[in-house]
Amino acid sequence: MPSTSLALTPGLGSFLKSLKTNPVETSIENLISLLKRRQIRHSRSCATATAYLLRHVVSVCKTSDPLKLIERVQTVGRRLVAAQPREMVVGNVVRRVLGLIRDEAEDDHDAEFALSEAGSESQPHTPRAFDDPSSSLPLDRDALSLRGDGAERQTSRPTLHSMFSLLSHPEAEFSPISTPGTQSPNGRMPPHGAGGKDVKAEVLEGIGEIIDELGQVDDQIASYALEHIHSNEIILTHTSSTTVQKFLVKAATKRKFTVIHAESFPNNHEATHATVSGKSVNDEENLSTEAFQKPLIALGITVILIPDSAVFALMSRVNKVILGTHSVLANGGLVAAAGTRVIARAAKVHQTPVVVVSGVYKLSPVYPFDFESLIEYGDASKVLPYEDGDLVDQIDVQNPIYDYVPAELVDLYITNLGGHAPSYLYRIVSDHYRKEDISF
Amino acid sequence: MADSSDMAQTNLPVTASTQSQTTATGDHPTSQVTQSLPIREAKSTKTPTSADNANAKKNVAPTPSTSTTDGSTVAGGEKPLTPAELKKKAKAEKAARRAKEKLAKEGGAGAAGSPASGAPQGRPPVTPKKDASGEVWPVKKEDKSVAVFGHLYGQPRRTTIAGAGKEVHPAVLALGLQLRDYVVCGSSARCVATLLAFKRVIESYTTPLGTSLSRHLTTHLSHQITYLSTCRPLSITQGNAIRALKLAISSIDPSTPELSAKATLCEFIDNFIREKITVADQVIAASAAQKVQDGDVIVTFAGSSIVKQTLLSAHKQEKRFRVSIIDSRPLFEGKNMARALANAGLDVEYSLVHGISHAIKDATKVFLGAHAMTSNGRLYSRVGTALVAMSAKERAGGVEVPVIVCCETVKFTDRVALDSIVVNEIADADELVSAQSAQQLTGVTDPVAPSKPDNKKGGKGASNAAKPATLASDLETSSSPLSNWKDNSNLQLLNIMYDVTPAEYVDMVVTEMGSLPPSAVPIVHRMTE
Repeated sequence: MPSTSLALTPGLGSFLKSLKTNPVETSIENLISLLKRRQIRHSRSCATATAYLLRHVVSVCKTSDPLKLIERVQTVGRRLVAAQPREMVVGNVVRRVLGLIRDEAEDDHDAEFALSEAGSESQPHTPRAFDDPSSSLPLDRDALSLRGDGAERQTSRPTLHSMFSLLSHPEAEFSPISTPGTQSPNGRMPPHGAGGKDVKAEVLEGIGEIIDELGQVDDQIASYALEHIHSNEIILTHTSSTTVQKFLVKAATKRKFTVIHAESFPNNHEATHATVSGKSVNDEENLSTEAFQKPLIALGITVILIPDSAVFALMSRVNKVILGTHSVLANGGLVAAAGTRVIARAAKVHQTPVVVVSGVYKLSPVYPFDFESLIEYGDASKVLPYEDGDLVDQIDVQNPIYDYVPAELVDLYITNLGGHAPSYLYRIVSDHYRKEDISF
Repeated sequence: MADSSDMAQTNLPVTASTQSQTTATGDHPTSQVTQSLPIREAKSTKTPTSADNANAKKNVAPTPSTSTTDGSTVAGGEKPLTPAELKKKAKAEKAARRAKEKLAKEGGAGAAGSPASGAPQGRPPVTPKKDASGEVWPVKKEDKSVAVFGHLYGQPRRTTIAGAGKEVHPAVLALGLQLRDYVVCGSSARCVATLLAFKRVIESYTTPLGTSLSRHLTTHLSHQITYLSTCRPLSITQGNAIRALKLAISSIDPSTPELSAKATLCEFIDNFIREKITVADQVIAASAAQKVQDGDVIVTFAGSSIVKQTLLSAHKQEKRFRVSIIDSRPLFEGKNMARALANAGLDVEYSLVHGISHAIKDATKVFLGAHAMTSNGRLYSRVGTALVAMSAKERAGGVEVPVIVCCETVKFTDRVALDSIVVNEIADADELVSAQSAQQLTGVTDPVAPSKPDNKKGGKGASNAAKPATLASDLETSSSPLSNWKDNSNLQLLNIMYDVTPAEYVDMVVTEMGSLPPSAVPIVHRMTE
């Protein structure tokens, strides 16, 4: 069934197109197979596809009962995550949608209580939280526990409040849309206190905002570029990342600097060559808008392309290393294109600061205890082509696609919320995902 | 136009400079321009009388020449220019202004308007100068050499044997091309090949009349050496061997008959190869193989002949171990090593530089080859070696893996190196472009390819019937976005050959004289001299 719809165009574009026409179950299957076959690859494509799919799922859902919605999204989310467990952004988007629904549900309850009891706001709720200690079990979803959860949220609100406003403040300058930080309780309360019946519409709107965020995240990150790149700097970067590229292009509008670009040979060198030279090889994964981006060289920036092996030799001249990433973990470590780790290590040895640019959506509430499980291995023929077939029989060819980079190798994270130390990331994680959704 | 502003200058010689500055405030760059005026003035005041200008400046020049204000001397600076030169300057100025306008977009129109009056005398002497500095752009476009490595770009490597001196021996001619194409690659191999070629040169050498062998043969060899170094810069080993050979030649008594002198030299070369390389390799391989233990996982980088020998001899001693070879673009030297080891029955793992951290994870030892060991104990070897050594020393677990370098003492040099930039070799950047991964070479179109354009076109059904012919050409062109990288301004490719590994990453250097710490390099080098 899915194969017919993908026949011509497997990828994000085709998926989004088919989403409108296909029944929801087909679309889910469709995305699962795309993920499994790695026909959707980039973190952002995966996130966008998931967000659109979930919006579709929610919108066709007959009920507007939050519990049912949560259950529905959870089942879909589990299937998607099971399809490609290493694509952590999928899980992240699901978690955020779940968080959205929960927030709406709570607001609803708040409204009900406000109507019925019309008394003080928080007092009636607090005892409830103590009534029901079992409510902290994330998967225990009966009405009581949800109410308990809600009450628990309610009590913890005052502490969260300050953190949220702290985060949402700088962000409001760039974008009219809000990230989930501001969507969380305090932002939602006033408009919703009175009516509060159409949870579904609110959730759909919230998902729309997530989608908007995914579209704007690179530009938001890029807006910090001038704070981090000074004139005549020599910047080293690795592999082709739209986020990094936009960041550098933004800086290039005001500053002159030099970019040393390591090509990340077997897995992504063609895309890197394309970004560097500005001639796109039709990368079916990238959204079409990115293909039209001006390369750095057109802005008068000298770009030096080097093989990965020359990183150490050149590191003594580099002022700053700017890296893109595949996903960021809660401990501040990151999973990025293979080869990133040695680059970060070489930078550390040379006392060169390492800056990682990443959208908040790549931030995963995962603590890596088993690094191995995070690493994906790729096509061995990229390392050893078929011309050397005789060798392939005799030796074990390894082609890791990702590297785990420990947090101590990173000096700074730049997300769409601003710059953070790696040690601060856990806080952003807890702001963005509700703890009951962490293992949904 | 020129007149009016000139008048202003004659009238108010002192304020002229401020005047020019006030006009310049419109756009920023010009204020810098006025500042650079005095430099020009110094030159021009020497010949203020050669007034062959048709312009009205003639009138102005004598009067303000006494005054030392900027404006006046500028006018004097105009004098020596011929009309043709003026025209050229005006042109350049125009170009410069255009560039300037592009730079300072604000007030671009205003700047273009107001300078029109001041330009002929105020600007022209200066703007060409600015233009000259701006001229770097197009020049840079052609010059694809990376600025930091500017000192390493010599003349490009020789591509043919055309133009080689007639003194160059055919064996050397052939060797030169082999060196250039990496057919003979690796420090030891290059040394041996060079010595063998020189042996043939010596064998076919006849001393010209009126000179002695010990005097003339050295110059004869110099021709060969110059030729070889135009093919590829000489390696440290080659240099060391040549030095030893020249010493041997010069120590031959001029009275020795030619035949026996030649025999002595040939014997010297044979001995040198045997002692310094062949036997040395055996000794190193034997002693390094002892370091291999059962159950070891040995990581090595690229293809070092001596490491290969070590691993093979360890394998012959029935030791059970695994080898992980890390290879790099563009030479892929590790492939041959992997093949040789796998054929010998070793358990081989193969990955590229991107997999270093994965390969090093369960490594127990790292064996590295060397191009040279510098006098400050650093390892000068194929680019990427430093990354491997660093990864071994900076493992996440905190357990350091011993890094063992196998290196003949002939590779020791008295040179020192702190970084990989001062001393290095730059190879042709095109090597990075041509190396293509598995692309379909047959005429059959790639089954994946037809779907690609479809992706882009999306709904347009018409384009789905893409012609195979265009597809094939598409494949060719799209296969390498770098194919004509030289046309892209500001894009540079860098293909360096070596890097320098800090001494602290090297635990042991296994040489034919024993296993040493890297700090012992200068001592050993002095002993072998």
